[in-house]
Amino acid sequence: MDTHKPILKVDGIRVSYGKKEILQGVDFEVAPGETLCLLGANGSGKSTAMNAISGFVGCTHGKIELDGEEIQNLPAHKTFRLGMVQVSQARDLFPQLTVEDNLKLGAQVRSKSTMLEELERVYDYFPRLRERRLQRVMTLSGGEQQMVAIGRAVMARPRVLLLDEPSGGLSPQFVNEIGTIISALKEDGATMMMIEQNLGLAFKVADRFIILRDGVVVDGGTVADYADDHEQVVKSIYL
Amino acid sequence: MNQETPQKKRPLSQNGRIFYLVPLAAALIPFFANDYLQFIVNMIMVYVLVTVGFNLVIGNLGQLAFANTAFFGIGAYMTAILMTYAGFTYELALVGAAISGGLAGLLASVTALRGIRLYYLAIITLAFGELMRWVYIHAEPVTMGTDGLPLPDVTVFGMSMHSETAKFYVFLLITVLVVKGTSNLLKSRVGRAILAIRDNELTTASLGISTANYIILTFVWSGSVVGIAGAMFAASTERVFPESFGLTEVIVHFAMVMVGGAGSLIGSVIGGVVLTALPEYFRQFPGMEELFFGAIIIAVLLFLPKGLVSLLAKVSPLFRERYFRE
Repeated sequence: MDTHKPILKVDGIRVSYGKKEILQGVDFEVAPGETLCLLGANGSGKSTAMNAISGFVGCTHGKIELDGEEIQNLPAHKTFRLGMVQVSQARDLFPQLTVEDNLKLGAQVRSKSTMLEELERVYDYFPRLRERRLQRVMTLSGGEQQMVAIGRAVMARPRVLLLDEPSGGLSPQFVNEIGTIISALKEDGATMMMIEQNLGLAFKVADRFIILRDGVVVDGGTVADYADDHEQVVKSIYL
Repeated sequence: MNQETPQKKRPLSQNGRIFYLVPLAAALIPFFANDYLQFIVNMIMVYVLVTVGFNLVIGNLGQLAFANTAFFGIGAYMTAILMTYAGFTYELALVGAAISGGLAGLLASVTALRGIRLYYLAIITLAFGELMRWVYIHAEPVTMGTDGLPLPDVTVFGMSMHSETAKFYVFLLITVLVVKGTSNLLKSRVGRAILAIRDNELTTASLGISTANYIILTFVWSGSVVGIAGAMFAASTERVFPESFGLTEVIVHFAMVMVGGAGSLIGSVIGGVVLTALPEYFRQFPGMEELFFGAIIIAVLLFLPKGLVSLLAKVSPLFRERYFRE
């Protein structure tokens, strides 16, 4: 098996909202088991890139390949079924339903036995959710809701897990917890792509990063190379 | 050695199986009720199923579709037509009513699948009911128009259903089976998907779930349940008239759902029981029935916007259904 072959390949994608071109030819790759972090200022096109990959917005040009299969412009439910699973910034949970129902919906299209196996796996990652499994999601804190959102995505056994600002709006305690969980997923071999404003969390869990500015990739590198030089990364993002 | 703690057996009062006591207790009604009271109880069972079916679409799926009277009328007329013209037994006609109700549900789901929602869906489905009423009136050679279509003698497995007691036991069996079936549906993964669509249809679709299939299934199930209620209604009244399926009926059905509790199966049963029994009780106050009836609906919705079942939910966790919006 060719371990260097990327599982996700984004090749020159362009995305427009009306006449405004948000992505102007973005290229990057994610290797199996790797965690890539997309960095950039607000409006740089990070979320648009992620939404294009997961099928929530269409591309006007370029190619997106998942394990060699072209997936650009497929609708979101098809990319989901192919294993491209996104946890959006809004979390998109079902507030009236219980934690367990929300989690099970992530594996709704799979067999009952697989669903229950996945549920046990998710509860192992998130013991707090096991305690709250019969609680309605709307009664949970923001951090716990984020756990449900990530747990639901994990239930789908994604080939690539897309995380859009997993630390957004969370207390430092929950940011730490979420970081630990993402690290655990990574240790278990998950391939992830994340958008993160919190450089501390991004550099704790990512292997590599790229920086977007005005819809193009302007910089990038391995986390190990910049571990002690966050200032340089911040300059690349904003200056 | 890994010894598992033996699970304590929960007392019946804390167990969902306590609901089986309701039909068991109801089975005793013919021993002390006269024919009139039994007729009312039979009509209560008809409207319990009407409410169960309607609540699936309104409360569980969250679609403002009012095709309920259409399903109800189609079920009733199909029973009468199959028995009168095709010589079907009541059992077979009942199956025919369930199928035709389901097909009407399939037809109604097309509007929802085309992305028509809220008031637009409401008005289209109301029009569907009115269109069907027009058909019952004008397809006179078959439906006998406003004179109504009489049913031949109803028998079930060779037993006459002429007496209210016989109807009662057949209806009780049908009601228990349909309510249990619907309860199982709502507890299954299908029920979970239906509720997810109610909460957020787009997110549900993005999880790879075919929302269209679940919308169709809910409408078909709802149509079948209400179609069965129509067949029971036909057997109970022994003649079906177009005016039994008009706009006023839609309002009554809607009130049953809202007073019982939208999205709650137990609420459907309560709504059907209360709003069928109360008007009969108020008959002893001639001229005041509508006033009392309207006042009760307003009071319940003002003080218990989640229906009477929310009152019970405060008393016992047994009534806190997983899928009920508390």
